[in-house]
Amino acid sequence: MSAIKKTEKITIGLQFFVLALLLILFFMADLLLGSVIIPVKQVLLAFFPSAETSETYRTIVLDFRLPKALTAVLTGAALSLSGLQMQTVFRNPLAGPYVLGISAGASLGVALFVLGFSSSLAFGVFSATGALPLAMVAWLGSFLVMLLVLFVSTRVNDIMTLLILGILFTSAVTAIVSILQYFSSESMLKAFIIWTMGSLGSVTKSQLAVLAPAIGAGVLLAFFKIKDLNAFLLGEDYARSLGVSIKTSRIIIFLSASLLAGTITAFCGPIGFIGIAVPHICRVFFKTANHLVLVPAVIITGSIVMLFSDIVSQLPGMQTTLPLNSVTALIGIPVIIWMIVKNRKFVSV
Amino acid sequence: MEEKVNIELKQLSVGYQQQGEAPLEVLKDLNLSAAPGEMVALIGSNGIGKSTLLRTLAGFQPWFSGDVLIKGRSLKILNARETARTMSFVSTEIVRVPNLTVFDMVAYGRFPYTNWIGMLTEEDQYIVSDAIRKVGLEGFEKRPVMQISDGERQRAMIARALAQDTPVIILDEPTAYLDVSNKYEIFHLLQLLAFEKKKTVVLSTHDLNIALREVDKLWLIAPEGNYQGAPEDAVLKGWLNQLFRNEHIGFDEQEGEFFFKKDFRAKVKVEGQGLPLTWTLRALNRKGYQIVMQAEPDFRVRAGENEWEVILSDKTKKFNSIYQLLAYLE
Repeated sequence: MSAIKKTEKITIGLQFFVLALLLILFFMADLLLGSVIIPVKQVLLAFFPSAETSETYRTIVLDFRLPKALTAVLTGAALSLSGLQMQTVFRNPLAGPYVLGISAGASLGVALFVLGFSSSLAFGVFSATGALPLAMVAWLGSFLVMLLVLFVSTRVNDIMTLLILGILFTSAVTAIVSILQYFSSESMLKAFIIWTMGSLGSVTKSQLAVLAPAIGAGVLLAFFKIKDLNAFLLGEDYARSLGVSIKTSRIIIFLSASLLAGTITAFCGPIGFIGIAVPHICRVFFKTANHLVLVPAVIITGSIVMLFSDIVSQLPGMQTTLPLNSVTALIGIPVIIWMIVKNRKFVSV
Repeated sequence: MEEKVNIELKQLSVGYQQQGEAPLEVLKDLNLSAAPGEMVALIGSNGIGKSTLLRTLAGFQPWFSGDVLIKGRSLKILNARETARTMSFVSTEIVRVPNLTVFDMVAYGRFPYTNWIGMLTEEDQYIVSDAIRKVGLEGFEKRPVMQISDGERQRAMIARALAQDTPVIILDEPTAYLDVSNKYEIFHLLQLLAFEKKKTVVLSTHDLNIALREVDKLWLIAPEGNYQGAPEDAVLKGWLNQLFRNEHIGFDEQEGEFFFKKDFRAKVKVEGQGLPLTWTLRALNRKGYQIVMQAEPDFRVRAGENEWEVILSDKTKKFNSIYQLLAYLE
């Protein structure tokens, strides 16, 4: 709860100050570093239309790196926050944004779109319009799953049943996707695989106009349910005895988590392990169970981790890039292993 | 004098709504009540529906028919927040939340009163500190709940219920995991809190021998029906013997304790006095020997200060502990 004493307030304030500094630092670094080396001065000048700098630099910074960095911030914040929500509601330290089958739903949408139409002329349409239709079908897929989960959660009382249903649904979708892959052409298969690797770079400025409000709405809903999230930590019995309307509260939290994870998955592909690892990092760093601190903490920390992952995946100075999903896995998994080893028993969130 | 009632169960029928099956009625025709300041123990054999009743009273599940009145108002018309201000609940579940301090856990009790973000006012902080002091956990405020003993954690859970400031506090087996001294302390603490704060404490327990000594009232649920009254009434009216279906468990009205009825192996007559006599009788009873006064015994035992004698058809054998005596009799 919110029994924050004065000295603790100062400590927490200091911690947030450090995080904010790191966020600015990594954001700047993400703008500076890339396959093309651009001097710091030129990067800064690019932001001022009147300033004299090369048009190429300006295009790279404003049209590519800036949207990508902003997308990284939104992605890290959204995935980490929905991971925190799922870990708390399911009271499971290994729960992440994808336990409800949101990623599976998005994959199914993309698989049906990319692979299902591989024999038709749809490929031409798809490549002509870029990533937006892909994002739309992914969104559609994940939201259909979300509606299904919300519908089930109004009928099923037991939280573990929901968790198991999410896992089963994910497996079923994976099976369908495998069948589609088997029957699809090589080029389509490649398009699908690339989507599953995750990417921040495909989000354009105009897509950001869709991405940002959706994430904003998800974050707002999460803030609205901070108090209930704290109650869920004690388990549903206690939450209920404290006056939480379990079903309503759970639906709003699921809505928020789905909106956050579903939107990111649609635009950037299924990005793993950030959602599981970042909440644990924040719990260790802030030593608190209070979501009033944890919610803003995971938003900022998630953004920092995602910016860092993006910088690493760019392999600064080189022409190639690494799949983003591999980078986040290699960053996230050691954190989780460290958590397990340090805590010995990994019993609770 | 007008009788004050804090909680009243009227013709209450509780049970489970099963999916696709007929509802399962666990308990029916419950007519029970308790006054402010009273500690009530709900007793009954395993599986008879104690937890179901407590969960119903806590507002976790709807009841089938009848009514639950708190200070004359039906629990049915209260919303979630109002219920949380009327009933607090301590379950058997052990709370394991890393980084959660005792203070923060007790502060959960203020949940139904705080604003949307859960900010504690100065009054809330005072109530929380006061609850912690009342359960004797002063100085534990900053300790993580995962690093305190079972007894301390149970105290913290009780403090949380206390901070919730409800007329009725319900506890499901609050002494289940505790050692004997903690069991007594928790019972004593609850009774003190009930009396001081004029709250009604309803708890279920299997520690019958302690409950009989400590509680103000029993809600007794037996296979044949349910009763309520002071523990002493229950003894005098013979209700306690109806508690268990098992014919081997009986209630000893003289000793005020439950005991296990055994088939007797042999008759023994014991001589002696004071504590050695008392405990020798108990040991022989435990081993299944029938103690006789008048009838002809199979053998005799003489209990002295530090010496025991067994007299069996004129042969006498001496021992210097009860343990040796029993080993010989085997």
